[in-house]
Amino acid sequence: MHDNYAIEINDLTKTYKGKKHPTLNGLNLNIPYGSLFGLLAPNGAGKTTTISAICGLRKFESGSIYVDGLSVKKNLNQIKSIIGLVPQDIALFPTLTAMENLRIIGGIYGISAPVLKKKIDNLLDLFDLQGSRNNIISHYSGGMKRRINLIAGLLHEPKILILDEPTVGVDAQSRKLILDKLKEINKSGTTILFISHYLEEAEEICDQVAFIDNGRVISQGTPREMIERNCNCNNLESVYLCLTGKQMRDCNG
Amino acid sequence: MGRFRYLLYKDYLLLVRDVAGLLLMFVMPILLVVLMSTLQNSTFNVVNDIHIPLLLVNNDKGELGEAIDKEISGSGIFDVTTEIGGDKPSLEDVEKEVATGKFMLGIYIPDDATEKIRTNVRKYVICAFNGIDSVPPKEDVELSIFIDPTAKASFYSILMSTLKEKAQKVQFEFILKEMTSEVNKLSPIPISTNKFSGDQVTLKSKFAILKGNKIVPNSVQHNVPAWTLFAIFFIVISLAGSIIKEREEGSFTRLLTMPCTYTEYLLSKSMIYTVVALLQFGVMLLIGIYLLPLIGLESLNLGSSVPALFALAFSSAVAAIGFGVCIGNISRTYQQSSVFGSISVVMMAAVGGVWVPIFLMSEKMQLISKLSPMNWGLSGFYDLLLRNEGFSAIIPECLALIAFGTICFIFAIIYNNKHRLDL
Repeated sequence: MHDNYAIEINDLTKTYKGKKHPTLNGLNLNIPYGSLFGLLAPNGAGKTTTISAICGLRKFESGSIYVDGLSVKKNLNQIKSIIGLVPQDIALFPTLTAMENLRIIGGIYGISAPVLKKKIDNLLDLFDLQGSRNNIISHYSGGMKRRINLIAGLLHEPKILILDEPTVGVDAQSRKLILDKLKEINKSGTTILFISHYLEEAEEICDQVAFIDNGRVISQGTPREMIERNCNCNNLESVYLCLTGKQMRDCNG
Repeated sequence: MGRFRYLLYKDYLLLVRDVAGLLLMFVMPILLVVLMSTLQNSTFNVVNDIHIPLLLVNNDKGELGEAIDKEISGSGIFDVTTEIGGDKPSLEDVEKEVATGKFMLGIYIPDDATEKIRTNVRKYVICAFNGIDSVPPKEDVELSIFIDPTAKASFYSILMSTLKEKAQKVQFEFILKEMTSEVNKLSPIPISTNKFSGDQVTLKSKFAILKGNKIVPNSVQHNVPAWTLFAIFFIVISLAGSIIKEREEGSFTRLLTMPCTYTEYLLSKSMIYTVVALLQFGVMLLIGIYLLPLIGLESLNLGSSVPALFALAFSSAVAAIGFGVCIGNISRTYQQSSVFGSISVVMMAAVGGVWVPIFLMSEKMQLISKLSPMNWGLSGFYDLLLRNEGFSAIIPECLALIAFGTICFIFAIIYNNKHRLDL
């Protein structure tokens, strides 16, 4: 275990029941503190499984994961306060208002009521949702839901923020707002693990990226390094296609 | 505890926003209790209220026909008709009238039925007093009874037992009379049976009750606890649905990454639903006490221990909620949980005696019924509401219900750890 990694994954293996091939096959990944780290992979390559394992949502057969120096297997409860997960699905209570959702989530993180109120106000301002704070989530637009989903992961000021496709299905304005705010949050010292299918987004905001294929990291570095390493490529997307191929990945079990 | 408060707040808000779920949990049992109490009220007041259409043709001129006629007409159970279109129907007419559904029962007493019985009895008595072993041929006396195929067995069994009783009484009186006459021929001092009454045994029936119990068994005392218990167990569908909904919507994933354990998550839900179950129970008691009398039913008598009633309701809620949590964990989809939840609750109710009294079940089914938590709850409620017993009588039922709920709850947590975290 190294002290300078926010997340350290060693030889992680996970095979789902009924599947012949492992989803994670000896995955090694080190995410430095303070980085905005992009994890990029084709569908079914193991991105969500990796996140689930980091957050303690899935067990794994072998290997180890350390978050802020703490073992996921032994110190999951402590880790839960350090990380903030923004899942791909809108992980909110759709029949409650934005305020009710945020109050409940903040309360479970143990934030005192006056502090929580202040934080909710600041974040709603930051993501331009102050006017609709008392609206029920199911009445929100897709972009608003994504922003509230993000706020819910930021309320307790996590040391490490994990985002699974945070801009999927949103318009250009919402996407720009989300990406800009993520850069700001990262600048304030939060380590961000960013998972996206939009490679141009990763190229724009990430200071480091890793490609996963067949349950392993196949390449890792800064976006510039990755492009330079593959002389025929001029952007991250072409590097990605060059390394992972053009064959569909989510067709086979 | 501070964090747990927010879980409770979350589950409370989710529940109050689910209007359809609340309606299912509160309105459905009220309708069931009112409907079932009203429907079953007549079976508890059978003698006073039921009027079965009966066609009676009495061609006998003697005591048998007269006694049967008097008994049937005076019973109050039957609407007796003796003529069709001003004429006395024939045997064939009686069968036809009943077969076409105009009457539920038909009785045809043939000509000289009494006289034939008297003749038969006289022959036997004379033979007996003269030491003649060979019994002379008897004249057949056949009363014809026709039953509508749609009539329930209980209806015509009342009639059959009445007819048998009357026929036997007439025969007995004839035997006594003939024997007296023969004895008087031999005895120098004549004996008389004029003051002898055949009704030496009187039947006095009453409900067996313990000292101080003033509760009268009626449909309200039976139906309110039975259907309230059914409603408490129906929480299973709403609770299991709520667990699956959160899992499908993704909010469950977020909760699992937050500083709260799965046990806390389930406990919070369980506590909110326990409050709902107790509220349901309170509402049902109020309905029994105040609403049912307004529609002509008896008012619910709460027995001698209201705290014991609530202790039993709480135990039933623990059992139902444990079961609901279990279904919510095992089922993969909302559809699965609602189908499995409702069918299993209906089966528990059917087996447990909510629909059919246990004593009417076969021996095997009676044994199986003891496996249903609803049977434990119902047995406890009957102890409190019909036998007027106190808290000590329901301790075994309470313990069994709480143990069932706890086992289901623990199983749900183990199942979740084994299967959901390791798919």
